[in-house]
Amino acid sequence: MKRLYALIAIIVIFLGFAFVGEGGTGKPAKVAKPTVGILQLMSHPALDSIHHGIIHGLEEKGYHPGKNIKIDFQNAQNDQSNLMTMSNRFVNEDADATIGIATPSAQALANATSKIPIVLGAVTDPKGAGLVKNNQQPGHNITGVSDQAPLKEQLGLIKQVVPRMKTLGIFYTSSDDSAAAQYKQFKQLCADEHINLKAYSISNTNDVDQVSQQMVQNVDAVYIPTDNTVASAMQTLIKNSNAAKIPVFPAVDTMVKSGGLATYSINQYKLGVLTGHMTADILKGKKPATTPIKFIRHGDLILNMKEANRLGITFPSSLVKEAQKKGEIIK
Amino acid sequence: MTFGLGVSAIGQGLLWATLGLGLFLTFRILDFPDMTVEGTFPMGAAACVAAINNGISPIWATLIAIGVGMLCGLATGLLYTKGRIPILLAGILVMTAAYSVNLRIMHGRSNLTLLDKPSLLKLPIFAHAPMYFDSVFLGFTVIVILTLVLIYFLQTDLGQAFIATGDNEKMARSLGIKTDNMKIMGLMVSNGVIGLGGALVAQNDGYADVNMGIGVIVIALASIIIGEVAFGELTMNQRLVAVTLGSILYRFVLLVVLKLGFNTNDLKLFSSVVLALCMMVPVFRDMFNLKRVWKRGISTHD
Repeated sequence: MKRLYALIAIIVIFLGFAFVGEGGTGKPAKVAKPTVGILQLMSHPALDSIHHGIIHGLEEKGYHPGKNIKIDFQNAQNDQSNLMTMSNRFVNEDADATIGIATPSAQALANATSKIPIVLGAVTDPKGAGLVKNNQQPGHNITGVSDQAPLKEQLGLIKQVVPRMKTLGIFYTSSDDSAAAQYKQFKQLCADEHINLKAYSISNTNDVDQVSQQMVQNVDAVYIPTDNTVASAMQTLIKNSNAAKIPVFPAVDTMVKSGGLATYSINQYKLGVLTGHMTADILKGKKPATTPIKFIRHGDLILNMKEANRLGITFPSSLVKEAQKKGEIIK
Repeated sequence: MTFGLGVSAIGQGLLWATLGLGLFLTFRILDFPDMTVEGTFPMGAAACVAAINNGISPIWATLIAIGVGMLCGLATGLLYTKGRIPILLAGILVMTAAYSVNLRIMHGRSNLTLLDKPSLLKLPIFAHAPMYFDSVFLGFTVIVILTLVLIYFLQTDLGQAFIATGDNEKMARSLGIKTDNMKIMGLMVSNGVIGLGGALVAQNDGYADVNMGIGVIVIALASIIIGEVAFGELTMNQRLVAVTLGSILYRFVLLVVLKLGFNTNDLKLFSSVVLALCMMVPVFRDMFNLKRVWKRGISTHD
């Protein structure tokens, strides 16, 4: 019982000191080495390669981690309460710029500070997520690179490879805001092109097996938007689609490598490199408020030949040539 | 600046303590684990953020979150008492169903932001507070009111009947207490408090997310158990205060872990280990007879 009162007293005294201290002290002397805080939502291949890309991008612009820049990398392991603690940590160490990989991390950062520049890595729709006022003129302390896939280019590819398609299935996670946003845009595109689109959504990786089994019975091809959860469970989906001989077109190259057929992909690594460049520019004095959000319009064509053989599909030779020239062929 | 993280930890501890207080009613008084929490918490958050986005004032939005939480508790209570479904399962069922309801509440979106929207933390009274003190003040006010209300409630006839139900159900029934009703009421009050917790945390974090319920039961249990282990034998009123202090201590443990530069990938493992160790303290105490060892170490030879 004494301990109870003692702890209350300690907390009150601490808060008292902090209250007085916060009002009085100025900012501590700034160290010469700039600090960049990187906040990543969770570990998974696509997000990890963005992270590596960012480091590479910073190096290209002359910032070498450990030498003339300090990188504080934090991974929240998909725990929302960690995001907050980690964002506050960046604010407290007075970081010169922060980078949020995936939407929830960006939102946590945006909530923690309205002064420190925030660079978005892999936020599909910054305006839709309420992070910026306008993608051209972000207005606040936030700008970045969008990981929006070139949906139109991808739909064109599906039509080229599966010309006799009647029904296209889209497979996404209902709890993933950016995946749901892409679904809505894709639905609009399909309506414009008079393609019958059937949506199948999952709530987590455990649903993948059953929902995808159901889906491959009813569609001629499958499209997967940029979706971290589906990316994690790609093998399950491919097992079922291969059994039914249905081609799968993911939005991201890493998913083609793990069994998808083909895509025009935004290279996550390159996306990270661009994010790194943008961060470097901001460290050198560029203002986030006037730096437009960067969108990548054209992806690299990625073809998976192994998968094509398995499904008995031959790509048009023009596509193969394009992929050889500026893309990737997986054999 | 040096105080900043500590103040933030206290603020977050106070806000998350609502969760511990809510779970205390079922976990300690009624003596059963209520898994509904993991659905109620994001539902409180979702309802509050959706309401604010629809132009409802933050205070009303927070009250709506409490109401929504109580409905979840009612659902679990009915399944448990009238439907005769075991409590663990009833909670898990409601928690699972809550996921779909949450998506409906947020109009099919999984994540709703409060950026540029009003919230309890942006009330004019907090405008001049130093950094992070807004959540400390808000958390403190809410916890004081909540603790006082609970203390008062547990001393009323109804509250005593509620405690009796948890202590000894047969005895309570023989005294004419309708134990089923008491359990339903307990679940409703508990989940109402947890809905409040969801609303507060969402306003502090600036968004609601359908996944924010994952693992919250561990956080709530941690506040209860750390409070018990740290302060030992206490009266009922003091136990309620200990939950809040336990929640603050838990935040400090996490802060130290982050500060020491532990790999954040190991954070979940670390939370569980800390919690498991705390729960095993009584066993260790008996095993090594710690009390006697301590006494002999501290007392002087007369």
